[in-house]
Amino acid sequence: MMEKMIFGRYIPGDSFVHQLDPRAKILFVFLFIAVVFIANNAVTYALLLAFTLLVIVLSKIRLYFLINGLKPVLILLIFTFLLHIFFTREGDVLLEIGFIEVYEEGLRQGIFISIRFLVLVFITSILTLTTSPISITDGTEVLLHPFKRLKLPVHELALMMSISLRFIPTLMDETGKILKAQTARGSDISSGPLKERLRAVTPLLIPLFVSAFKRAEDLATAMEVRGYRGGEGRTRYRQLEWAGRDTAVLLVLAVFAGLLWYFRT
Amino acid sequence: MRNKKLQSMIAVGMLSSISFILMLFNFPLPALPSFLKVDFSDVPALVAAITMGPVAGVLVAAFKNILHWLFSGSPTGVPVGQLANFTTSILFILPVYAVYRKASNLKGLGFGLAAGTLVMAVGMSVLNYFVFLPMYTYFLSMPELSGSALTESIVLGILPFNLIKGVLLTAAVIVLFRSMRPWIEKQRSLYDS
Repeated sequence: MMEKMIFGRYIPGDSFVHQLDPRAKILFVFLFIAVVFIANNAVTYALLLAFTLLVIVLSKIRLYFLINGLKPVLILLIFTFLLHIFFTREGDVLLEIGFIEVYEEGLRQGIFISIRFLVLVFITSILTLTTSPISITDGTEVLLHPFKRLKLPVHELALMMSISLRFIPTLMDETGKILKAQTARGSDISSGPLKERLRAVTPLLIPLFVSAFKRAEDLATAMEVRGYRGGEGRTRYRQLEWAGRDTAVLLVLAVFAGLLWYFRT
Repeated sequence: MRNKKLQSMIAVGMLSSISFILMLFNFPLPALPSFLKVDFSDVPALVAAITMGPVAGVLVAAFKNILHWLFSGSPTGVPVGQLANFTTSILFILPVYAVYRKASNLKGLGFGLAAGTLVMAVGMSVLNYFVFLPMYTYFLSMPELSGSALTESIVLGILPFNLIKGVLLTAAVIVLFRSMRPWIEKQRSLYDS
């Protein structure tokens, strides 16, 4: 549980995808979501699936982790697939069992839509599986830099996000301690009738809030003593480095989008 | 001279973590679809709004959902659920903040929470009809829910769910506020001046 709270879904590794700059990966995912919608026939959907499989192979993420995240929607996916198969009545009849008729167009649509869905989920999952939350925050801060002109406090937002990430394990630990202390006194937050659960929440929240505000006070003092003066001219402990492979990856995506555009009908 | 801006920024970060942790302790309500879950993650956002102003409250609600997306991902790839949760939180806390600012006592808070519950329940029903449910079915590539099915799932699912959620939150906040009032007022005078 603790481990999970520190890294999120992140699985450390040294694959090609892990080594990419977080900025490149975030840009890649955003552009890819748009690119997916170019596909509209058998060739383009096959290309899309092949490209995604290539990314999965390059990321060296075990398929188990990807499938695992999919479990909650798998039933919906199958349901949608069947719905398309049985209720689209276009094209030739492929199969006839009793009163059930499967049409060519229905099968086609069902497969296409399932591929699009899987591809979208896999690619976004790979981003969070190969990039630690703090790298995503750093990358987003730099990518949002242009919006500073529009008075968006990019640095401040990233600072709050980093602090929040940093304190999840600490506060999680504290929540655990309080919960145990309350359980020892006979209260139970996760089961029992609603009324009991409501009453169990208050003794949990009060110490959490009070300690959070106390910590905020201490941390603000500590940061100021060390000369924190906002984002201007601040140097970084974690440096982001844009390498040739990051540009290459985005170029590959552009070429791939071109390819899809060429084959679409 | 203490830097109030820095301190409230850090407090927002901390409250976001708490909010995210509370989000993990969610539970479905009996007799309603299992994807509608209740949790108390709106309480930290509400505390942030009351002590440090509406912007802080909105930020806590936003960070909680960004964290949730980073840690649990989204079954649809595009974070529709998180977006809906963010909107729900805002619709709930902003009315409470507005009323409580005019009448800063238990009664004001009670009215605020009632207003928040109503705004959240009605607002989310309307938004689900026009935005979130169509978005959800679109990204899951399910056939669109049409007319009667859509209305039915909202009237029987979304509306009562948000009403019950609002009532539960109201009860929790009132209990909390009764014992924390002096402390909350103190933080409020420290930050919101």
